[in-house]
This record gives sequence, C-alpha cells and structure tokens, in this order.
Amino acid sequence: MAPVHIPSALSFELLGKCSVTKARAATLHLPHGTVPLPIFMPVATQASLKGLTPEQLEETGCKLCLNNTYHLGLKPGQATLDAVGGAHKFQSWPHNILTDSGGFQMVSLLKLAKITEEGVRFLSPHDGSPMLLTPEHSIALQNSIGSDIIMQLDDVLVTTSPDLARMKEAMERSVRWLDRCIQAHKYPERQNLFCIIQGGLDLELRRQCTAEMVARDTPGIAIGGLSGGEAKDAYCKVVDTCTGLLPEKKPRYVMGVGYPEDLVVSVALGADMFDCVWPTRTARFGNAITAHGVLNLRNAMYSTDFGPIEEGCTCSCCRSVEDGGLGITRAYIYHVTAKETAGAHLLTMHNVQYQLNLMKSIREAILEDRYPKFLKEFFGKLYDAKSQYPEWAVTALKGVGVDLME
Amino acid sequence: MAGPSSTPQLDQLPPEMLDFTLLKTAGALAPRLGRFALPGRKPILTPGFLSNTSRGVVPHISQDNFRRNPAFNGVYVALEDFVEKFPQKTPPIFEYDVPETLRRFIALPKDSPIILGARRSPPIPSPVANTNTEVGLLTSVGFRSISSEYYAAAVRKLQPDIVVGLADIPFGQESVGLKRKDKMSDRTETWTRDIIAKRNTLDSEDPKFSIFAPILPIERDLQSWYLDHLVDDMLDKIQGIAIYDAYIMEDLPDELHPFPRLSFHNPSSPHDLLRQINLGIDLFTIPFINTATDSGIALNFTFPSPQKVFDASSTRQSLGIDMWHASLATDVTPLSENCPCDACTKHHKAYIQHLLSAKEMLGWVLIQMHNHAVLTSFFTTIRASISAGTFEEDIKAFEAYYEPQLPEKTGQGPRLRGYQFKSESHAEKGKKNPKAFRKLGEEEVRALQEEAARRKEKKDVVDDEAMVGLVGMDGVDGNVAVNALPGEGVDGLEMADDTPEKI
Ligand SMILES: [Zn+2]
Ligand SMILES: [Zn+2]
Repeated sequence: MAPVHIPSALSFELLGKCSVTKARAATLHLPHGTVPLPIFMPVATQASLKGLTPEQLEETGCKLCLNNTYHLGLKPGQATLDAVGGAHKFQSWPHNILTDSGGFQMVSLLKLAKITEEGVRFLSPHDGSPMLLTPEHSIALQNSIGSDIIMQLDDVLVTTSPDLARMKEAMERSVRWLDRCIQAHKYPERQNLFCIIQGGLDLELRRQCTAEMVARDTPGIAIGGLSGGEAKDAYCKVVDTCTGLLPEKKPRYVMGVGYPEDLVVSVALGADMFDCVWPTRTARFGNAITAHGVLNLRNAMYSTDFGPIEEGCTCSCCRSVEDGGLGITRAYIYHVTAKETAGAHLLTMHNVQYQLNLMKSIREAILEDRYPKFLKEFFGKLYDAKSQYPEWAVTALKGVGVDLME
Repeated sequence: MAGPSSTPQLDQLPPEMLDFTLLKTAGALAPRLGRFALPGRKPILTPGFLSNTSRGVVPHISQDNFRRNPAFNGVYVALEDFVEKFPQKTPPIFEYDVPETLRRFIALPKDSPIILGARRSPPIPSPVANTNTEVGLLTSVGFRSISSEYYAAAVRKLQPDIVVGLADIPFGQESVGLKRKDKMSDRTETWTRDIIAKRNTLDSEDPKFSIFAPILPIERDLQSWYLDHLVDDMLDKIQGIAIYDAYIMEDLPDELHPFPRLSFHNPSSPHDLLRQINLGIDLFTIPFINTATDSGIALNFTFPSPQKVFDASSTRQSLGIDMWHASLATDVTPLSENCPCDACTKHHKAYIQHLLSAKEMLGWVLIQMHNHAVLTSFFTTIRASISAGTFEEDIKAFEAYYEPQLPEKTGQGPRLRGYQFKSESHAEKGKKNPKAFRKLGEEEVRALQEEAARRKEKKDVVDDEAMVGLVGMDGVDGNVAVNALPGEGVDGLEMADDTPEKI
C-alpha cells in the first residue's frame, strides 16, 4: 500500500551525538511541553503512579509518563474519559502522556486472547462476555484518552516463540494494522502515532518490518516485542539492527525496558525512549535502586542503617533536613515498608528520581561527548570487579566501540 | 501556664515546656478556648486535634505531603509502633544517635508538636495483662509488655515534646471489678511518679519533655487517692492531663482545670466530638478520620450546619460520601464545595472514585488529605462558635441537620497494615510460660481463607500492578487484631505476585 503522509504533533531537535557509540541527545517538543531525550518514562498504569500525587511525580522531574490503554478502557472507560475531557484532565497531569495500544496487556494478561486479522478477541474480565479490540477501537480509545503519544495496535508474540511462520505473520499483520490505525486516527495534529517494529529475534524479519514502518512516516518509531525474557545478546542485536535502519530525525522508543544496565546499553545502541514498571513496582517490595545496585531495605541489616537511601541522591527523601529534604533513613524505610503505604510512596519517589537522574546524566555525558567514559564509570560503580560485568553488555558495547574491559 | 488560674510553680518551668493559655472558659464542664504552645513548634489552637500516626506516619501521607498540607500539624505517636524487637534486641530507633531521635527518625518537620504515648489510639486490647510493673502492648509482631522504667528510658531517648504517662487500663474488658479498679489507681500513680522521677534525673541542658498525667476512666472515689496525690504532690510536675472517659470530667478536681485536656475517649462521630468539646476537652486524636479514609469515605460536613433545620421529619444529611459509589464515576465536582485541600482543588470525584475502584493507593492518599482538611475546618468553626457564644445552639442545629453516625463502609479498604496484622509465632517461641493469646474464631479463619482464595483468583485476571499490596479488609475490623495466615510472615505480603527480579 502506498505510504500516507501523516501530520506530526511533535518536533525532534537533535542536539548531539556520541562520537564513538550510536548514542544521541535530543529535545522532543510535545503538545504538553518539552522533554529531554534520552528519557525514561515511569508507568502510571491506571492514571496514577503508585500512590504519588501529580505534584510528587512532577517533583521527581518527570514530564512524560505512561498510561495503559487497556486499563483505562476498562476503568474509567471511554465514556467517562470523553465526559471528563481526556486523561490529562482526569488525573490532573499537566505534562505529557504516552499510551500503549492495549494489545500487549491483553495478550499478556488474558490467557484466552486470540488474534485474528480483525483484531484481538478476548473475554471480558468483568463478565466473561466475548470482546474484540481492533486497531480502530484502540485508536479511538487513545483519541479519547488524549495522550500526546499513542501507539499502534500490533500483533505481539513472545520473542522466544520458535514458530517463524507465525512470527512473520505477526510482523506483516502489524504493518497492516498500522495502516488501519493511521486511517482511524482522528487527531494527528495533536496526538503523535508511533509505529511498532515487530519481527521477534529474526533480524531479517526486523529489517523488512523496519523498512515497511519507516515508509509510513509516523512521527516516532517504537521497537516492540522485546523484554519478554529473551537473551540479552539477542535483544541488543535487534535494537542495534533496527536503529541502524531508522531515520536520524525521529525519536526511537524501546518498549518495556528499564533496568539501569539495559538503559545505558540501549542508549549506546541508538535508542531514545524507554518505559518499565519495574522501578515503581519494585519499590513496593522495599527495593531501592542505587548506583551500586538494588538494595532490599526489608533486609534486617538495614534496620539500624541511619544513612540516606542513597548517599548523594537529590530526591526529597534522601536529601538531608539541613538541605531542605526529608532526611529519610534506610532504617525508617525498613520500619515502614510493607506496613504503611507511605513507605512505598517514599521509595517510589526515590526510584523514579534515580531513573530520571540516570537519564539526565547520560544526556549530559552525550552532549559533552564523554559517553564511553560514562559507561565505564557506570559499570565500575555497579560491580565490584570487571569479572562480574554481564557478558551481553560487554559484547554489545564492544560492538559500538566501547571496551569496558580495557 | 499564663491562664487566669495559673500556678506560680509552672512559671518556673524550663523554657522547653508546654505553655497552655486558656483564652475563654466558663467554668467546669463547659467548652473552652485555648492556645497550646511549645517553644519552637507551631501553636495549636484548642479545641483542636492531633493527627494519629501509624509507625510514625499519618497513614497514606508521606512526609513530604505532610509538609505540603496545612491540615497537618501536631501528631500523636505510639511507642508500641517502634519496639517490636524488644526484648530480644534493642529496637533500632534507640540506636539512632541524634538529638530529637523520634522526630528525626519519623522525618517530622521541626515545628510539629509530638505527643508520645505507649499505646496506639485506640489501643487494640492486649491479652497480656498489665502487672504492677508492666503494661501490655501490641506490636506488629505480637504482644509484649514493657516496664514503667523501660517506658521512662524510652521517652528520655526519644525526646517527644510531650509524653502521656502510663495508665493501667484493662482495654477491651467489659466490666472491671472494684479490686481491679483500686489497682488501676495505685499502679497509675506509681507509674506517673516514675516518669516524673525520670525527668528529674535529666541534666539541665537536656531537653525536657512535658508530662500528661492519665485520668482513669473510673469513678472519682475509686481513683481519689491518685487524684489527691496528683493535686497535692504533682501539680507542678505535670503539664496536662489525658482523659480516657470524657464523662468523668465533672469529677475532676478544680486544681486540674487549668491543664490542657487530651482525650483518648474514642469519638464515634463528629457529634461525639462536639459533646466532648462541650464538656471542656481541648485536644483529640480522632481515629474515625482514618477509619473513614480506609473505607473510602470522604467526610462532608460543616459546622455550623449549612442551614438550620429543626424539623425532625426532614431527611438528615450524610456526614460523608462513599467514594466507592459507581454513580460518582463521571462526577467532576470536588469532594466538598469550598474545601481548600489539594484533593478538592486539584481533583474531582470521578478520579477519586476511579482510584478506589482500581485499588490505586492514591485514592486513599487524597481522601486522607481531604478528611484531615474537613476536620481542620470543623475545629476552626467550632472555636468561632464558642467564641461567639453560639455553640450550644449550633450543636443542636448540627444534630438536626446531619445523620448521627458516619456512613457504613461498603468498599474494600487498603491492605491490612502492620498494626492490624500480627504474627504471634515469632515472639513467644521457646518461652516457658506463654501467656494466653486470643485464638482466632472459626468465622475469622474462614473469612481469611476466603480472602486468600479470592486473592489467588484475582491474580489471573487483573494486573498485579494494581493488586499487589492492596488486598481487601473484608471481615476484619480495624479494632480487632488478627493472626497472620499460616505461611505468611510478619508482613503478610503477597510477594509471589511480583515478577522475578533480574538484578
Ligand atoms: Zn533518593
Ligand atoms: Zn477537600
């Protein structure tokens, strides 16, 4: 089918490129304000980020967060969203929102989902009645949500699926569904539709898919179907292959990625945008993300540790009282975690801010063209010895000119 | 104390001590206005209230939100929330080597008054009976008892602004025999003397805490020895009194009238608060705020009532809105008109209804902020009414306008939290003479099992993101302690729901 040019509601301003790796720093201008790239986007699944108020989320520096279309479609539902005037008004969030298509959630959460050319068939979690999510319906929902970035409905298969024929079918169907999404999209001038490259771990399928998707000229491009338990080497190859074929002047979003190591490596491979529930989910179990790794503050060893969650962290929990912060100690988190919801709120704030700070320092390093050095320092802090560095990261970074072991 | 009947001795107290000024009083058993001021802390105008805390935090209100929100000022903190490791291990907080240990540990702003007591408000009855030297507590890992000496040492270390003396009250006991009442009075006197003695041992440069002496919820004659001694020997050593039954205030010795009165008489409703204020109570902890919040009820009342309705036949207004109601799903009006809180100025009912039904923690956060704001306004207008001399008639109008009780809970609450959920196995292993514990009734066991089964089912259809950490409290009353389910630890968390961690 002939490519349709669709208007864009964003502008991508490339500010700098790493002279060694494929990392880029940019500014993305979106309908609800400007966001720096590379970026990590926290996930506010049901129009709320794990107990944080919009002001608290804003305070972490977040200017772009996710909502899940599947969840908002169920609750509060399209009629309410229309009545209230979209998700920004619904949750009083003045900054940007990105929504997924709902397809992935459906396939991963509902065992009985079945995919046909028409769309995803599933049984209603409310009453078990058969329902159908089509590309048109997904876009209509996202139009009602009013998110600044919307995603096409895609045919998602676990990357580890051995069925190549099915993988090819899913990839090709995703392209056809993109065309239907473009047709159905009512507000291209204020919502940016991103395509999603599929093709599993097969690099040839990924190349074909990338070519088809790029031809559709959507404002941004996502690499989907990853972070489903595939080997990290294979993940890196897919990202590297896709970014190599993508136009320079468009944002590239790798879906479902959020571990700090994955972020720094994926940026080196040329990706710009990431999201993941892990930092906020793990906070509720007492896990604090730090430059030296994840600490489980439910461990009794922290019950008398009166230092901040992370030394030097600028989040309001970790900053000292003298510095205008709360002066929350690890011992206090130990005291309240899993016992009071506020314990989860505190750690969620820290974890989100950790992720955003990480991206900020990545961006600065790229702009100052010292990203290779940044990568070495990052892994140096995270592990006690080079022998512990994950092989996939060493290999992937070597592929873009950075030798962590030297 | 600079009130009309100030006692000279109190003026010589060190500057850290509480200054309570009665601004308006009409004698015994009458509402009164006062100003409760601690050096370096924001004053509390009385009648007023303290926010009840759990493990050092106002439930659902993280410390940054506490600071952001003018409805929060003074807090009530229970020692039993901090000493679960005792006696096997030193409770961690005692190892925190900073001035104002408690304040720093719970990250309370430096201008918020802290009142520390032994038990939560309201306390969950402990099957560990009090003895001559020890008081039974309930910590998140089971029942404990602490000695009066231990309590005094803890207070010295934690440095609250005010400590409520230990009281020998057999909570949860329907009727108390005469002999037992005698003992209550004797023990409470001893323990009050203990805490005073402890404060006397402080060095002159040590910050001094103020002491509120408990007044027992028994007849005057049965505690007359204690009250007499309080008046004769301890009047210049105490700075306030803690009332466990507002109706015994008519028996209060006159000498105690100038002292601020903190009520632990659990008010069941706003009407009950008004009655206690009318008897002359100055300060409250208000457990129903939290109960309402956990039930998803946004309080919605003003004082005086919006219109004066004396016609008994007209329908009375509800004191709160059950935010679980599906009919609110598209309602974009605030929880209460004219409420200045963030939940009302920045959000609407539709969102809060959604958050509850999606079991998002923010729902309870916003309702909690709002409920505290409603009580803050309630007290502000109560003081204005007392000042204007219209309190009696305003109460009548309020009672005629509103229903007598808060609405019943219909929806699920947040997951059981530490104090509601305890395991006894940890605490008492290997002990020779285990004290009698309350056993779960069959009903309760079945309710808990059903809950667990329901939890498992939900896992399959609903994103665990939404469910983790938020299991319903059906069948479990906040006031009744329950054992952890077999196989669930102290924290009883649904850890299995989490995805495997890779890092
Ligand atoms: Zn921090
Ligand atoms: Zn309000």
